[in-house]
Amino acid sequence: MTQQLDPVAAMHLSDAAVSVELETPDMTLNIGPQHPSTHGVLRLVARVDGERVESVEPVIGYMHRGYEKISEVRTFAQITALINRIDWVSGFANEIPFIVGVERLMDIEVPERAQYIRLILTEMTRISSHLLFMSSYPLELGAATPLMYALREREHVMDIIEGLTGGRFHPNFNRVGGVKPAAGGGSTQKKVSMDLQAGFIAATDAAMDKVLSVCDELDTLVTGNEFFQARTVGVGVIPAEKAILYGVSGPNLRASGVNFDLRKHEQVLPYDQFEFDIPVGANGDCYDRYLVRLAEIRQSVRIIKQAVSSIPSGPLQAKVPRVLKVPRGQTYVRAENPKGEMGYFIVSEGGRIPYRLKIRSASFSNLSILPWLLEDQLVPDLVAIMGSLDFVLGDVDR
Amino acid sequence: MTDSPSDTPETEENEAVEPDALAQWAEQLAGTLDAEAWSADHGTVQITVDRTAWRDAATKARDKAGLNFFSWLSATDWSREVTVGEPASDVEDLEERFDVQCRLSSVANANGAILVASVPKDDPVIDSLVTVFGGAAWHEREAAEMFGLRFTGHPHLVNIYLPDEFEGHPLRKSFPLLAREVKPWPGTVDVEGMPEDGPSTENTEAAAVERGAE
Repeated sequence: MTQQLDPVAAMHLSDAAVSVELETPDMTLNIGPQHPSTHGVLRLVARVDGERVESVEPVIGYMHRGYEKISEVRTFAQITALINRIDWVSGFANEIPFIVGVERLMDIEVPERAQYIRLILTEMTRISSHLLFMSSYPLELGAATPLMYALREREHVMDIIEGLTGGRFHPNFNRVGGVKPAAGGGSTQKKVSMDLQAGFIAATDAAMDKVLSVCDELDTLVTGNEFFQARTVGVGVIPAEKAILYGVSGPNLRASGVNFDLRKHEQVLPYDQFEFDIPVGANGDCYDRYLVRLAEIRQSVRIIKQAVSSIPSGPLQAKVPRVLKVPRGQTYVRAENPKGEMGYFIVSEGGRIPYRLKIRSASFSNLSILPWLLEDQLVPDLVAIMGSLDFVLGDVDR
Repeated sequence: MTDSPSDTPETEENEAVEPDALAQWAEQLAGTLDAEAWSADHGTVQITVDRTAWRDAATKARDKAGLNFFSWLSATDWSREVTVGEPASDVEDLEERFDVQCRLSSVANANGAILVASVPKDDPVIDSLVTVFGGAAWHEREAAEMFGLRFTGHPHLVNIYLPDEFEGHPLRKSFPLLAREVKPWPGTVDVEGMPEDGPSTENTEAAAVERGAE
C-alpha cells in the first residue's frame, strides 16, 4: 500500500497478465445420445478446448435395425415395406431404386402412367422432406416461428400422399411392375382398379400453390434474416473436392458448387420429360445448404405441375407373375433421394428372396464427413453445422 | 395413347445401343485399372481386381478414370451353407469367399463402377482405402464388424454400429437371425412353400402365373 505504482507500468503489467498462455485442460463433452433436435438418436463425443472443438467422434448405431440381414429372409415384395422406414421422412423415395432394380433384373417394362405417378410422389416426398428441414433448421438456431409456417403447408402435401397411397409416412405403394393397382390386393384381389382419386389434379395444383407461397414466406422470415445469416454464412464450409471424396451427396454436395443431380443422369424415372433446374450453391456453407433446399422445393413444384398436367392414361402395373422369382443377377440402382444418393445393390440367386441386399443410404456418407468438418469449429456452431447437413438417423443406421 | 407407338421403337433402339456402349466403357476401364475381369450386366459395371491390387485400382479409378465420388463399400459372403435365407444357386461349384465391393462414380456424368476383390475366408484381409477416399473410413468399419474383414492401414478400425463387446459378424451367412431362432416369424408362410405345398392344384406356380396374366 505504501508503494505507489506508476500508472503506465500498471497498464503494462495488466496487459502481460492477460496475454499469458493459460493452461486449459481439454474437456470431453458428451452430446446425446439424443440429437439436440431429435432426428433420431445420435451421440457426439467432443473434445473441446474452451469454445473450440478439437475433435468429434460421432457414436451411431442406436437405431440399427439390421435391414440388410432381415432382407435375406424376406421376399422381394415384402422388402418394400421395410425400406420405407430407412429414411422415414421420405419413405416413398426409398422404394424407387429398389423396385427399379428388381424390375431391371426381371426385365419388366413399367407402364408410363405408373412411372408418372412414381415421379409425382417422389417429388412430393422431396418437398415434404425439405419443408421439414425448413421448419427444424431455423428452430435449431432459435427461431420457432418458421416451423409453424412450413409444417402447415407440408400437411397439404402429406394429405395428397395419404389420399393416394393410404399412408402418410410409409406409403408402401410401389409394386414390381408399377404402383399398387387395386383395392384389397393379395389373393382376394378383384378387378377393381384404384386409380388417382377424383379431384387429384386440382388438389395437387392447389397444394403446390400453397407450397410456393410458403417458400415466399420463408424467404421473408428466414432467408433475409440477419440473425440467421450471422449463424450460417461462412460457417461449416465443405469444399467440393472434400465432399466428393467423402461421398457427400444430394443438396449438401450441390451447395458446395457441384452441379450433380441423379435426376439428370439416371433413367430411373422419366425426368427427361420435364423442364427443371438444378440449384447449385457457391460457398458450401450452412447458408448455401439452406438456400439450395429452398430452391429445390420450387423446382419440385415445377416438375409436379408439369407432370400432373401431362399424365398419360394407361395401366398402372405391368403384367407380372404372382409369385415373384427374380432371375439370377446383380445390379446396383441409385436415385436422387431428398437426402442424396440412395441406392440398392441387389444380388439375386434366382429365388424369391435376395441373396444379399446392400443399402446405400445418403445420410450415412453425409454424416461421415462430420469429424473432419467439426474440427476447429466453435461449440455454438456445432448445432448449426449438424442441422444443416439434414440427416435422419434412420437413414444413417439402417 | 397416340404418343406411345412412336415412343416405343425409340426406347427399344436406345436400349439396344446402350448396353454395348456400357460394355465398351467397362472394357476400357478394366484396361485402365489392369483388372482381371469385367462385366456390364443389368446396367451395372463390375470390375474384378486382385486383392493385392485393391488400393492401386481405386487410386487409378480416382485419378485416371474420373471416378472420384466414393459411393459405398461393402461385401458379400459366398457360402455353401447358409443359416438364413436361401443358398446360392450353384452350391456345388461355389468357391467360398468374401467379395469386397466398392462402388465409385463420377460427378460429371453417369459413369460408375463397382470394384470387386475376392478375399479368402481363412484370411479375410484387404488394404484400406482411407488414404484414397476419406469416406471409406466408416464404410470399412461397417464391413469389418459385419463380415469380420480386416482392413490394413485403417487408422481406427473399431465397431461402428455394434457394441464393442459384440461377438460374431452378423452379415455372415453362418450367423443366425436370432429373433427367428427364438420365435418363427409368422410371415414365413409367405416365404416358404405357399404355392407349392398347397394341396389344391390351383395353387401351383404355373396357375399363379396364369392368374397374374389374366
